[in-house]
Amino acid sequence: MSNMNTDNNTASAAAGIDLTQFYQVFFEEAAENLDSMEQQLLNIDITSASDEDLNSIFRCAHSVKGGAATFGFTDVAELTHQMETLLDKLRRRELQATVAMVDVLLQADDALRAQLARHQGAGGDPVDTTNLLASIRAMQGGGVAKVAVAATTVAPATVAVESRAPAELISDLGTSPNGDSKPAALRVLELRVGPLNDVKDADNLVDLFGEIVDLGSIEPLDAGQASDGIRRFKIVTTSCDSELMDLFTFHVAREQVKLLEMTAGFGFHDGAPGAPAPSEPEPTYGFFDDAPGAPGTAHAAAGKPAGSTHPADAATAATATTASNPTLSASAPASAEAKGAAPAAKAAAPIESATLRVSIEKVDQLIHLVGELVITQAMLAQNSQKLDPALYQQLAAGMADLERNTRDLQESVMSIRMIPMSMVFSRFPRMLRDLAAKLSKQVNFVTVGDATELDKGLVEKITDPLTHLVRNSCDHGIETPAERVAKGKSETGTLTLSASHQGGTIVIEVRDDGKGLSRDKLLSKARERGIDAPDSMSDTDVWSLIFAPGFSTADVVTDVSGRGVGMDVVKKNITALGGTVEIDSAEGYGMSVKVRLPLTLAIMDGMSVAVGDECYILPLASVVESFQVQPGLIKTVGGTGRVVEVRSEFMPVIDLEEVFHVPKSDTPPATRIMVVVEADGGQVALLVDELLGQQQVVVKNLEANYRRVPDVSGATIMGDGRVALILDVSSLVRHSRH
Amino acid sequence: MHTILAVDDSASMRQMVSFTLKSAGYTVVEAVDGQDALEKSVSRDFDLVITDQNMPRMDGISLTRKLRESPHFKNTPILILTTESSDEMKQSGRSAGATGWMVKPFDPTKLLEVIKKVTR
Repeated sequence: MSNMNTDNNTASAAAGIDLTQFYQVFFEEAAENLDSMEQQLLNIDITSASDEDLNSIFRCAHSVKGGAATFGFTDVAELTHQMETLLDKLRRRELQATVAMVDVLLQADDALRAQLARHQGAGGDPVDTTNLLASIRAMQGGGVAKVAVAATTVAPATVAVESRAPAELISDLGTSPNGDSKPAALRVLELRVGPLNDVKDADNLVDLFGEIVDLGSIEPLDAGQASDGIRRFKIVTTSCDSELMDLFTFHVAREQVKLLEMTAGFGFHDGAPGAPAPSEPEPTYGFFDDAPGAPGTAHAAAGKPAGSTHPADAATAATATTASNPTLSASAPASAEAKGAAPAAKAAAPIESATLRVSIEKVDQLIHLVGELVITQAMLAQNSQKLDPALYQQLAAGMADLERNTRDLQESVMSIRMIPMSMVFSRFPRMLRDLAAKLSKQVNFVTVGDATELDKGLVEKITDPLTHLVRNSCDHGIETPAERVAKGKSETGTLTLSASHQGGTIVIEVRDDGKGLSRDKLLSKARERGIDAPDSMSDTDVWSLIFAPGFSTADVVTDVSGRGVGMDVVKKNITALGGTVEIDSAEGYGMSVKVRLPLTLAIMDGMSVAVGDECYILPLASVVESFQVQPGLIKTVGGTGRVVEVRSEFMPVIDLEEVFHVPKSDTPPATRIMVVVEADGGQVALLVDELLGQQQVVVKNLEANYRRVPDVSGATIMGDGRVALILDVSSLVRHSRH
Repeated sequence: MHTILAVDDSASMRQMVSFTLKSAGYTVVEAVDGQDALEKSVSRDFDLVITDQNMPRMDGISLTRKLRESPHFKNTPILILTTESSDEMKQSGRSAGATGWMVKPFDPTKLLEVIKKVTR
């Protein structure tokens, strides 16, 4: 954590309290609030937003502001304060929500993320929120955005505002620049203006806070009324009095302005229960007289006498921790644990669900250990098969229990890392909204299968390729409303993102109803680049041309993220994850890109087969059926391909003995076995010698330990200690197609 | 030994208040909103309740009103934390039966000072 010193921090340091220990929690909490706010803003129906909808968005901004102000992040506090003021008016129905407001709030959300990132040490330029603040303030007053609000460009140094203060005065303010990672001292002041003939004159001072970057925030304490002609405001700022006075005296006479120190404000309602005896009035806190519990009343504190060693006295004095005082020493472990708050598991208690934050390394270690356990259990099971079950009844029963327990444990542990696809999908509504607006297209975004689960590691790696595919659809697929109407389509295009489980894989599809791929264009582009593209090429193969390196769209995508990722990189990324990409298109109607990925295969159900003396594993999920076959039933087609008849259909045959050059065993079986497997929408029959059995196998990565082997997706250690290769069924199916 | 109920939907604020009070020797029970606070006050009494105003499910003022309906909390000091100190807000707090208010942001020393005034 960067060394931050806020005024709060200095004061609380005197009391022995280090506020920086709470920063991390605040950052995480703020991120959650910003995510939630963004989500709600995207989903809000402007014409019929409920009170609770608006309240909820308000609370997000309010919550971030509270924390930011308390911990001294004034830039964040200032921006959220303005957002909160606008949102407050919206939730009170004093203003009607507009699309422009939602846009501005979304941009403010972005700016806040950038500000928070800087405070967490991300570096980069200070976030210029001048335009944003001006727009928000204008909207608070029922006006429109003052200046054109650009998406991510940094505003120029000169700003079109109405402040009459000269430019050099602003630069002399000496306030910390926006987003400086060292927030300057935060001060809370009361401003009294008057007596004024027209109390509205004080509004000029209020406007200053909206127009000058980082001046601070101001809010009325008197609800706009001033019976004695004196207006009262609360100011939160990092500027010193003289700087403020210099600004104020542009609008009102110096003798009409009074600035009073307000440290943390509080008050007691005189006479309220428990309220203390009314003392000199302080503007920053108060007790209600006669309120229950108010100090100084008859009911005060229900006669709980404070002991002579009242711990509060010690704390307010200095950093007192008398070891002899049992209450204070009890708090020591609490402070130690609060300080050691980094990746260790700590309980966060949101209302809806009890969750635990755990480091990824711990989860991976757990998965690895469970994998080792499964291997050990398999070896034990194998060895104990040799024993006479009658003699070793209890052992056999125990082994059965062990197998069941191990399987349950494995399923539980694997599910820890699985998270729903909605986590991946969630970034797209916002991205599409901005992109579609920029390209003047109308896109309806639909997601299917949000709850489909995927390993966390895969989620991180799939996001970039998916983002590119979605951008492509929006940019090159879906046509402008005019073009669509001219073709007889609806104005609004639809982009569908779906996820589903199929066998041991997850299938993610990006589908649009745009103009699809043009076969002719692709063929001519290919020929231009010297790629062999005969007219007889099948459609599927033509679509696959996009993956050829250097085939990426010639017109550069004008997108802000600018990753410069082409379709070839998308394919490479997917293949590296052990997956495949399929394209289907109908010119004029749309396009679909299907990404198939293996679910985490750390532990998998497999069917083991024997070929010669070797043992191979097939993913059980892809096995359709198996049967004995007489050699005569296998027919040769076209001189090289072999097929077998299955229920009056012919299916391509792959002889694993040939594929893997397995030496024939000394005692080949009389009849061989066909195992029909399915992958990528196709089926193929594998010729093997024998079915050995079904078991759970722990998948070990072959590529990491050796190198990539074609048609093989991994390896495992069998119960007898031998290594068996796990076959890549998709790859085998693709073989059969050529 | 004084036991304080600290109510705030923001974890960082709750932790800060809780830690501050614990360092000063108080026992602290945390609640994430008004509803949670009410549930926690069914089975035990508190010497002081300090609550945020803006929270989901039930805000600080509603919590105050509800607590005052219970004989156990008729005279318990209740402080409402708020980011605004407008007269309007103060009035709402008073009519709900709150003992007092405190403006956010505050620094921990001030918090302890205020609490001391009501727990003597």
